[in-house]
Amino acid sequence: MNDNDELTERAVLSAVRDEISVLPLPAAPHLETITARARARRQRRVGGLSIAGAVACAALAVSLAGGSGGAAPAVQRDTAPPRHAAPVQLTAFSVVTGAGGSTTLTLYPGEVANPSAVHQALAEHGIPALVTAGRFCQNGTSPGWPGIDQVATFSATGLQHPANGQAGSRIVVIHGSAIPRGAKLSIGYRQDPQNREISFTLIQDGVPLTCTSLPDNGPHGNH
Amino acid sequence: MSHETEKTEFADFFQKSWEPCLKAVVASTGSVELAEDQVAEAFTRAWLAWRKVRRHPAPRAWVVRTALNTGASWWRRRLRELPLAGHDTTATGGADDGLDAALLTALRHLPDRQREVIALRVFLDLDVDTIAVHLGIAPATVRVHLSRAITTLRHQLSPSQAMEVDR
Repeated sequence: MNDNDELTERAVLSAVRDEISVLPLPAAPHLETITARARARRQRRVGGLSIAGAVACAALAVSLAGGSGGAAPAVQRDTAPPRHAAPVQLTAFSVVTGAGGSTTLTLYPGEVANPSAVHQALAEHGIPALVTAGRFCQNGTSPGWPGIDQVATFSATGLQHPANGQAGSRIVVIHGSAIPRGAKLSIGYRQDPQNREISFTLIQDGVPLTCTSLPDNGPHGNH
Repeated sequence: MSHETEKTEFADFFQKSWEPCLKAVVASTGSVELAEDQVAEAFTRAWLAWRKVRRHPAPRAWVVRTALNTGASWWRRRLRELPLAGHDTTATGGADDGLDAALLTALRHLPDRQREVIALRVFLDLDVDTIAVHLGIAPATVRVHLSRAITTLRHQLSPSQAMEVDR
């Protein structure tokens, strides 16, 4: 590029700049306008992850640092992971408020949810629970308690994992108000991410537990 | 980084970048009104993906690119909705916006890539190498786009501007 070319380039670019610069351009909108729009979109996006029929009043997508060990902190996901990037954190489960005051626990396939994180998330939704991976604990139900099917119901769906795309999420809809005083919901699931067996039953608070590596066929949901 | 820190950082970026990004998109679309909507949408997406955008080598260029892509998808949707309209759906503008009609027309009729290179060069002050990285093309290719765009635009300048160029 010779001097004349450079002069031409500068002059043309300057002319373009000048033409646009004299325009009365609108001022920037308030930042809150932008962030509110993003917030609304984020809520819709999170809501879209919940099961059909569930009203996503509040959604908590909890991520689990890779593997089953360690107590990964429960974090609220505020942006969708970039599609092209290898996820640093994979969502292993979610806990959302559903219709009629119910709480929906979704265990996504291909990963083992951290029991501590599941317990914490359920507690934040007012569900007293004992959550175990690799074992299942019970101590006998108390007379007069409702049947387990009145407290929690199970469904297996084709819902895909939001990050790894695997189908086969397991969903437990919990009616927290049906859990009797002095009781907890014991939830146990396999540590093998490919074996998505899950069991749940009511247990008495403060009574010694019997834990087994495999769920038996007692009065609980075993799926 | 805490949410509040991120929000402060984004607020600073937003305040400093709104005008140059808007100008770049106006130059590309030819419409202030359309550009305003597209840039607002792009900043919304930037905030949604701020952890990624803040690490981008040219975050303003990311916003401009997103705004232009948003505009393209809007027009494609519009085209599907109005299949029998039979009109040229290129963004309107020109006299209504107070722009130099000839220069604006010339800008609008540049190929997309040439127009984008001009917008990034003029309004975001990006050098050729940065533009090349952002667009994923070679610096030499950027220079070719720039040179061809300038050649085209030069013919559209007003007489006084042309005289300045020719001096």
